Amino acid sequence: MGVDSPAEQAQILLRTRLCNPNFIYTIFSDSPDSNYSKLKYIMSSSVTEACNNSALLLGPRGCGKVAILEMVIKDLLQEYPDTICVIKLNGLLHSEDNCALKEIARQLCIENQLVFSKMASFDDNSQFVIAMLRECGLAHKTIIFVLDEFDLFTQGKQRLLYSLLDAMQSVTSQAVVVGVSCRLDADQLLEKRVRSRFSHRKLLFLPPSQEDLQKILQHALLLPTESSLPPQYVAAYNKKLLNTLSDDKFKDIIDSLCNFDATFNHLLRFLFASVSHMDTKSGILSLDNFKTSLSSIQRQPKLEALQDCTILELYILVCLRRLEGKEQETTNFNSVMKEYKDVHNSFQTSDYYARNVCLRAFEHLLQRQLISLVDNRGHSQSLEFRPVKLLISSHELHQGLKAYRSCPAILHKLLGLAV
Amino acid sequence: MGDEGNPQTTRRTTRASLSSTPNPKSSKGKLKSCNLLPLTIHDLAYGDESISFNDLISSLPGRRAQIIELLHLLGPLDSPMFPVFVYGGASTGKTSSILQTFKYLKRPFVYCSCITCYNPRILFESVLNQLLLHRRNESNRYSSTKRCERPSDFVNLLQEALHNVVDSLKGNVEKSSSKKSVGRASGKMVYLVFDNLELAREWDKSSNILPFLFKLYDILKMPEVGLIFLSNASPDTYYSDTGYVEPVPVYFPDYTEDELRQILMKNQKNPKLYSSFLEVVLRPFCRVTRQVDELLTAFSSLYQIYCEPLDDLGIVPNEDMKRKLFSHLQPHIGPSLNETFKVESRLSSEASANTNKCKGIAKKVGVSESSNEIDFHMSACAKYLLICAFLASRNPATLDASMFDSTGGSNNKKRKRSSEKSKEKKEIAEQELLLKGPGTFPLERLLAIFQCIVSVSECLPDEEAQGDGGLEGESWTNGLLSDVLLELSSLCNANFISKGGSCPLEGANRYRSMVSEAMALKVAKSLKFPLAKYLYRGG
Repeated sequence: MGVDSPAEQAQILLRTRLCNPNFIYTIFSDSPDSNYSKLKYIMSSSVTEACNNSALLLGPRGCGKVAILEMVIKDLLQEYPDTICVIKLNGLLHSEDNCALKEIARQLCIENQLVFSKMASFDDNSQFVIAMLRECGLAHKTIIFVLDEFDLFTQGKQRLLYSLLDAMQSVTSQAVVVGVSCRLDADQLLEKRVRSRFSHRKLLFLPPSQEDLQKILQHALLLPTESSLPPQYVAAYNKKLLNTLSDDKFKDIIDSLCNFDATFNHLLRFLFASVSHMDTKSGILSLDNFKTSLSSIQRQPKLEALQDCTILELYILVCLRRLEGKEQETTNFNSVMKEYKDVHNSFQTSDYYARNVCLRAFEHLLQRQLISLVDNRGHSQSLEFRPVKLLISSHELHQGLKAYRSCPAILHKLLGLAV
Repeated sequence: MGDEGNPQTTRRTTRASLSSTPNPKSSKGKLKSCNLLPLTIHDLAYGDESISFNDLISSLPGRRAQIIELLHLLGPLDSPMFPVFVYGGASTGKTSSILQTFKYLKRPFVYCSCITCYNPRILFESVLNQLLLHRRNESNRYSSTKRCERPSDFVNLLQEALHNVVDSLKGNVEKSSSKKSVGRASGKMVYLVFDNLELAREWDKSSNILPFLFKLYDILKMPEVGLIFLSNASPDTYYSDTGYVEPVPVYFPDYTEDELRQILMKNQKNPKLYSSFLEVVLRPFCRVTRQVDELLTAFSSLYQIYCEPLDDLGIVPNEDMKRKLFSHLQPHIGPSLNETFKVESRLSSEASANTNKCKGIAKKVGVSESSNEIDFHMSACAKYLLICAFLASRNPATLDASMFDSTGGSNNKKRKRSSEKSKEKKEIAEQELLLKGPGTFPLERLLAIFQCIVSVSECLPDEEAQGDGGLEGESWTNGLLSDVLLELSSLCNANFISKGGSCPLEGANRYRSMVSEAMALKVAKSLKFPLAKYLYRGG
């Protein structure tokens, strides 16, 4: 297996880089006013000055909040070995108080080589955690609590947050609570008693700027000169890549990507798809790779679903749209069938099928999620009577019909009449 | 090769059935031996036989572009990957493509379908069982290795299991680097495949199972793990409260007409004959449905009809023959287009031969019997109940008294005339009926109507003998009433009548008739009951 072509090796290297957030975000560790530096300052001061601290990292999904935090923690662990203990919780997993406390106790036990009891009650665990906080405080050991998906911890009675933040009010403990959330109003979700114990440090994470974007592109995609890869190949690859990156067409691609979603994560997925499509024969990342990956990343699922529809399903959609155009309050399968019949009677279409066949087509449309049931109540009603609504606009339907390969002209006409 | 059938079975059997398609006999033996031997790390990948790239492409017609894209995203050996989200309509070969691709790549993977793993606990335990190479059998009383209900426990156990698997895979790579062995799992990546993810959306509204699965990659922080999600719903239908980390999408479009032809032509005994058959039927059917499973059921019976005039099924048809066969088939295409499902069994074909005879007699009477027959057996009591329920759902409760007075609904001639006066009013009422559907009614009303109808229908055939027939009829109705509730519950179970939620004021359960008017009329006809007379037509 060691005889992979250099192109394949390069591909593996690039993919490993893109999937490793620690690598991608290292470029932000130098600048002094970056979130990395600020966060590091907050956390290291709490380690060196033996004080309690809390902070919230806010920003849209995929802007590297957790990655930066991990980098800071990694650095701190190197700088101050044996004085830091990290407890990681995730709102998706531990939003329930009981479960969260158990997990804290478990991680504390692992960190301190203690035996964890699965049978311990909420009370036992909570006493254990408070005792551990005191012990660690006395030993000048900082406990860092990382609460990912912080907003989910605020559901319910917030007992966990309260007991954590309350324990930090005492002078003996030495802990940092870092909440990470994609909800910018996460601190408003806190109860009064919790909010008053929370230090309102908030760090905002934003999508990358133009310069950052360029930096990341080069940082992620350029191959290293000192590696096992043959130097000629690396030189050729890098030269071609820099050419591509400065190309105007490439800039257009990046612009359209960022218009859609400008977060780091989206960019990384785009780069991942581009690298995946790299031609392993030439081993060069070309503009075409970026183009194909852009079209495969930016999908329009509703239009695709329209292209997948059969003629009969299109008829049903158009009939439903016509009914909505008539401003009827509710529509269901029966009223669609009535419209379908009327259309057939007045235009003598060739596609007139039996009711049960239409019902099956109707079910296909429900499955494709082009239409949906208005409410999920009334399960006792059979499908024909349950009200439905279109999930696409008439504009989308129009566009879809235009793009359809062999769309009957009558459908355009029917839709045109409706609009 | 649609994805139908595959998701329902567990992974092991899926693989067995997949590998058995070329030669079922040999794989049977393998299956047996596989049950005896303890599982090894290599059982996480298809080990038995290798397929080439050409086999892979040719086994899945029309999916070339998608398979190549998948291969690109999976990447070369041992390369990490972002989570991938494969989506496309039903019956577009998503599952088959993924499984065949892994067969080709021979990489270890874990397959779980949300159909068989129908709640989070079963899903979690299924993943862990496979990773821990645990087989549920009699000796362990079909239990899972680990009991795991919460996502938090699952993550801890999964991390542990994955580390073990990855470690042993690494050990393998080092061992096998000296001598190359066949049938081994290659690489040190493990892939988790979650099929039918769209079902997980309805598991539990409050739970975070979907955001959790989408974030699993970030939570695990293991580059050796690849996640693949399969779904027949597009990614935009998964949006939840605070969103999720979007995976890389791969789209499987529905098959085009040409691709369908290629798929249907696979494994045909007489390709020439079948292709001439497809030329005739495929185009009209594609206007209705393009799903392979539905087309296959429709075509299987049509093809039999197509071949009827032929003595030798191995014949290569010429133009003349084709024309003849076409004219033979043509009258059948239209009706079968308007049928949804018709699975031809031996029994029913015999029965249809019998009904053909009956039809001849019936036509003399002047009624087209075929449409008036109910094709299942039902007791008379159940039939009456069905009609009563239909009436109770259709008629307003306030009119019951006038409908079922002692004269047995004979006075509704007057009302009928008056309803004809206002046509548009009637239309509006009809429209409303279309939208609202059948109404609900309490049990008492159903029983009251039942009592009336049964007594009326007793008297109806010979109205002159009303006087002396009364007593006899009474005893008969008593006999009927004795198991009315039993019949009602079986009708509910068969979904002819649905049992709705209880009314907040009365507290009793309310029922609703689920049968169509045509069906109710059929049933009434079989009892010779004048249903139309009792139907309130608005106005």
